[in-house]
Amino acid sequence: MDVAVRSGPGIFFDGTTGVRHAVSVELDRDALLVRAAEGHLLACWDYGELEPLSAPEGMLRLGRLGSPVLARLEVHDAALAAAIDQMATTVDRSGATERRSRTKVVLWSIAAVVSLVIVTIFGVPLLADRLTPYVPLSFERRLGEAVDKQIRGMLDTDHKGERFECGSGATEQEGLAALKRLGSRLESAASLKVPITLAVLRKPEANAIALPGGRIYIFDGLIKRAETADEVAGVIAHEIGHVAHRDGTRSMLQAAGLSFMLGMVLGDFVGGGAVVIAGRTLLQTSYSREVERHADAFGVELMTRLNADAHALGAILVRIDGSSHPGIKLLLDHPDTRDRLAAIKAAALPKTITPLLSPAEWTALKRICGGP
Amino acid sequence: MTVVDATAPGAPASVPVVPPAPPGPARPGVATGRFVGKQAAYWRLMGRGAVLLLFTLGIYRFWLATDQRRFLWANTEIAGDALEYTGTARELLIGFLIAIAVLVPIYGGFSLAALDLGIVGDISGAAAFVLLALFGHFAIFRARRYRLTRTVFRGIRLHQTGSAWLYAVYAMFWWVVTLATLGLTYPWAQASLERYKLRHTFYGDVRGRFAGSGTRLFVRGILMWFLVAGPLIAGLAYAITTINWTALGEAIERGGENVIGRIESSSPNFGTALGFLSGAFFWSLLAATVLYPAFQAMTLRWWTSGLRFGGMVAQSRLRTGQMYGVYLRFMGYSMVFGMIVGVVAGLVFIIIQSLFKLAGDQFAEAGGVIAGVISYVGVMLGYSTIYQVIVKLRLWRLNFETAELSGLEALDQVKAAGVPSSAFGEGLADALDVGGL
Repeated sequence: MDVAVRSGPGIFFDGTTGVRHAVSVELDRDALLVRAAEGHLLACWDYGELEPLSAPEGMLRLGRLGSPVLARLEVHDAALAAAIDQMATTVDRSGATERRSRTKVVLWSIAAVVSLVIVTIFGVPLLADRLTPYVPLSFERRLGEAVDKQIRGMLDTDHKGERFECGSGATEQEGLAALKRLGSRLESAASLKVPITLAVLRKPEANAIALPGGRIYIFDGLIKRAETADEVAGVIAHEIGHVAHRDGTRSMLQAAGLSFMLGMVLGDFVGGGAVVIAGRTLLQTSYSREVERHADAFGVELMTRLNADAHALGAILVRIDGSSHPGIKLLLDHPDTRDRLAAIKAAALPKTITPLLSPAEWTALKRICGGP
Repeated sequence: MTVVDATAPGAPASVPVVPPAPPGPARPGVATGRFVGKQAAYWRLMGRGAVLLLFTLGIYRFWLATDQRRFLWANTEIAGDALEYTGTARELLIGFLIAIAVLVPIYGGFSLAALDLGIVGDISGAAAFVLLALFGHFAIFRARRYRLTRTVFRGIRLHQTGSAWLYAVYAMFWWVVTLATLGLTYPWAQASLERYKLRHTFYGDVRGRFAGSGTRLFVRGILMWFLVAGPLIAGLAYAITTINWTALGEAIERGGENVIGRIESSSPNFGTALGFLSGAFFWSLLAATVLYPAFQAMTLRWWTSGLRFGGMVAQSRLRTGQMYGVYLRFMGYSMVFGMIVGVVAGLVFIIIQSLFKLAGDQFAEAGGVIAGVISYVGVMLGYSTIYQVIVKLRLWRLNFETAELSGLEALDQVKAAGVPSSAFGEGLADALDVGGL
């Protein structure tokens, strides 16, 4: 090969001691020779085994490919470095090889991110659906007890303890009996695998929740704002839907899957936490809206089977929602009330309605948490 | 073909031209470090890295960290010879995968244990915290080992021995003691941990040693401690002694409308104590912010001056003013960047608004959320890049350039030793979010 220079100065470290050798480098036909100032040979490296190494600007640093001995040759002379570059195919000072491999890394990383995002959006809920039936009911009960302990701690802000559940006082007994009757009628019609435990909590908010393992809590505020017993029944039927579909277990599996996909695999860079939180919130609320739609459908179906007023659920939803507020729908965990109302109307068949509780029982239920 | 014995006779050759000699030391064996890297090159490296981090959701971090270290190491000269970083991104990626394989079952186990209703469930949170903290320190020590064994100077690598678990236990112990003494034992904690690290650090066959004294750091830093923690402790002490705590507890327990009134009647000094305490708190916050560069300069000087490798001795000449300069520059850059972000955020907001008007449906919402998240991450990455270039690079450079090294004639006697270690510690540190550079 024709190169401009055949030799030049360099600095050599033999890899066994820290001695710095000022050397002369000779470019032979097949190999690079390193000679000490006194003239004797310090190293003889084939061009094929030269490895270019990380170095400051203006220096070519060479080692030997795969050698456990860290012998280093440093060349500052630009003409000599160019000549070595020309002789050895493994040395590429233009950086083109490095850039090619880096582009590959970036493209495959982006492909991995895309596939991960797709699996997270579609795969995680699907997997949770498939796995939910295999979670043993005994596990779900245990999970329910653990969640119950936490939820009570969170909700019982005034530390009422035993009295947090309505129906304990003397004047509340009749209300409790009415609730039991309502619950057992709905439960027997629903034919569930898990028995439900129904209770009313002393909370002023108009809300109801279902926990894994069959616990259903209705808040006092909801009963206060209900106008008929069937409205309360409709809400309970919706929550029974969550129990029947085992939504607590499903959402736990989903949350675990999301945490794993987003937290473990992706993540650790500045601002990455925000991506994870935003992604998790968006996906969880979208799963949750889907789950609520199914629970609504279940509730309507259950009410219809009992010849009760299937529209009542829609009526109370509209009342407690007030005006449907504008805002970011994607961040709500329940579907828009108008959409829910329309779906309930479409599903509820017109029928002769027999209320689930007598007027006297309804009056008693309204007073389950005391009051006039 | 191997390295030929240096005494072997060789063919005569032309007299070699010796390359530019390193800056001649005034005294034999004495030199300062030198950093020859250009800041513009580091800006390019970090800026491009930030964009790629964003688009690969962080996967690029292994390559960025490797590039960063290559740049820093290669541009750092000690006695005229540049350091070399031989680690690769592939090693870091594998280390991370091993860490995931180890951590996932542990996380899974703790998630299950948390569901237990008995004693196991109650202590699982605390147990997980302690175990992960131990893992964190373990990871720090092992990651240090990886970095050292990938550092080559004059054809000889550094390496580290010692038990990472033992180090983790020491570190946890000192951490608890330091918390319990409100930071007063911090100097001895640092000295002890650095002694352990350096005692197990080798350059070739030369063992390191940490000569810094905890007591000396304590004496230098105690005034700062008083300025920061003193008023806070005085405020707390005043509040604890003057407030009638049982009456206060009852007043809060009863709750209701007139809580404030009852609190005041229960302990008349409550308002004063609260005012004093919040004043002390703000003072501490302010003092900590203002004094932080001085604290950092002090500890860095102390640390560098304590480094010993055989007969080689480091002495830091870092001035506190230089540290303040670094942080003032950072504040300037941050302000300029903040203004740019403000203008861009305004534009993005207008675009999102018009999207809502045009579409007003879920697509516009999704677009808005995605734009918001990307802007947030962009801003965070921007600040992080500025911090890396303005603060981290400057500190690296300052630390080497103000370090006076003596006894360097011993470099010629160093013999190679040690083997490269796995990157498991790096991966663990990455997965646990305790990684340094």
